[in-house]
Amino acid sequence: MRQEEGVWYRLDNVARSISPFFVTLLLILLSLVPLHLADLSPIVPALALIGVFFWSVHRPDLMPIWAVFLIGLVQDVLTGGTLGPGIVGLLVAHALVVWQHRFFLAASFVVVWCAFMLVAAVALALTWLLTCIAMVTYIDPASVFFQYLVTIAVYPCLAWAFLRGRRLFQR
Amino acid sequence: MNKPASSEIRIASPVKAWASRFALLLLVGAAFGLMLIGRSNTFIVEETRSAVTDMVAPILDAVSQPVETFSGVIEQAEALANLRSENLALKDQNARLMKWQGIARQLEAENANLRQFNNMVPDPTITYVTARVVGDPGGAFVRTVLINAGERDGVEKGEAAITSKGLAGRISEVGKRSARVLLLTDINSRVPVVVGDGRDRAILAGDNSNAPGLLYLGPTAKVRIGDYVSTSGQGGVFPPGLPIGVVSGVTEKGVRVKPFVDWAHMEVLRIADYEMIGIADFEEQVSAARAAVAAGDAPGAAQAAAQETAQGDAH
Repeated sequence: MRQEEGVWYRLDNVARSISPFFVTLLLILLSLVPLHLADLSPIVPALALIGVFFWSVHRPDLMPIWAVFLIGLVQDVLTGGTLGPGIVGLLVAHALVVWQHRFFLAASFVVVWCAFMLVAAVALALTWLLTCIAMVTYIDPASVFFQYLVTIAVYPCLAWAFLRGRRLFQR
Repeated sequence: MNKPASSEIRIASPVKAWASRFALLLLVGAAFGLMLIGRSNTFIVEETRSAVTDMVAPILDAVSQPVETFSGVIEQAEALANLRSENLALKDQNARLMKWQGIARQLEAENANLRQFNNMVPDPTITYVTARVVGDPGGAFVRTVLINAGERDGVEKGEAAITSKGLAGRISEVGKRSARVLLLTDINSRVPVVVGDGRDRAILAGDNSNAPGLLYLGPTAKVRIGDYVSTSGQGGVFPPGLPIGVVSGVTEKGVRVKPFVDWAHMEVLRIADYEMIGIADFEEQVSAARAAVAAGDAPGAAQAAAQETAQGDAH
């Protein structure tokens, strides 16, 4: 009986520790669903960036760098864009958070959001630059900027949902 | 369960920091490597893409259906609100269209007569595959959609994706049960077109905005706002005469075209197989010049277009 509990306990642990990775993959799928609602559909938020940032800040142990790489790869493969730029953007966002992880330890929600604005700006600008270089064309940065605005506007909602989920898990 | 993990991190942090820095460099390097592979060997990348897309397509298919129903309900509510004004507008349009129907019937009969008269070769038969749009990546960098039909449904690379309003794009990748459509507005899309009554030739080039531009328009071409843009059939990818859109802006910077397709409500696409003979040559040209352009159709199409123009002039 006790052993069985141990197995369940371990399974539970595994499920919890891989959930950030799978939740972020799920976000990528979610951003692919056609909404058919507005003409603004081209500007979908960079949901994977939100996932990677959030978990890198709150549970860096559950969002290792190879997971970030895989998430970036899946994102670039599924969106149909150039392979690579999106991965680099996510890796850099993760690296920035890990580099400043002491700062995030005591940061309030609003401060983390402000930090996300900076990190997302760097990540999306880098993705844009690398995509332009890889495609040897000039992509209008206005649409990237709009995507950035939508992404930082969506962040609090998703982060709130993640935090709720985390509390449920930890109970 | 979290506490031991954080204390472990504290003890091993110098080692971990080193390892993570190394891992960062390694993985960023790998990403750049992928970028190079994507540029030089499009075949492998395409195969991987369609394999992954195939895995995801059934999930997207299932998820997108309730979303579609929901947006359908909203649309119906909107339609209900505008019922009266829409009815008036439709009556007006119906009257105008009846007139055009008469003209079209007359022209159809006349056309059939003339074709018979000239022993003209009949147009090839067209087969359609109808597929639902299950994925729309959006974002700032691409304009593509995923559809829930692939190789097993008879979809092939290069075929035209059309809606009831006009051309939407062409198939760029095919998996077993899913395919990716490169939309007219994508930065990699190049479509040979004719513009206006003067039938001036040009290339419709997407730039990820909603209104693609016209390239290589002749210096003598007179283009006005409202001019009709349709495929020219050059390059052998699309048949001539597929409706695309109207000229929406003429400025010093260039000519903009507003496609007929309603991108926000594109729920179903018809994939048309026109049995274009040019596709085989086109594919060869693309593989020969694969490094030139990411989608690789600009030089291929232009080259083939030039060839066909020469042939056309000879006739």
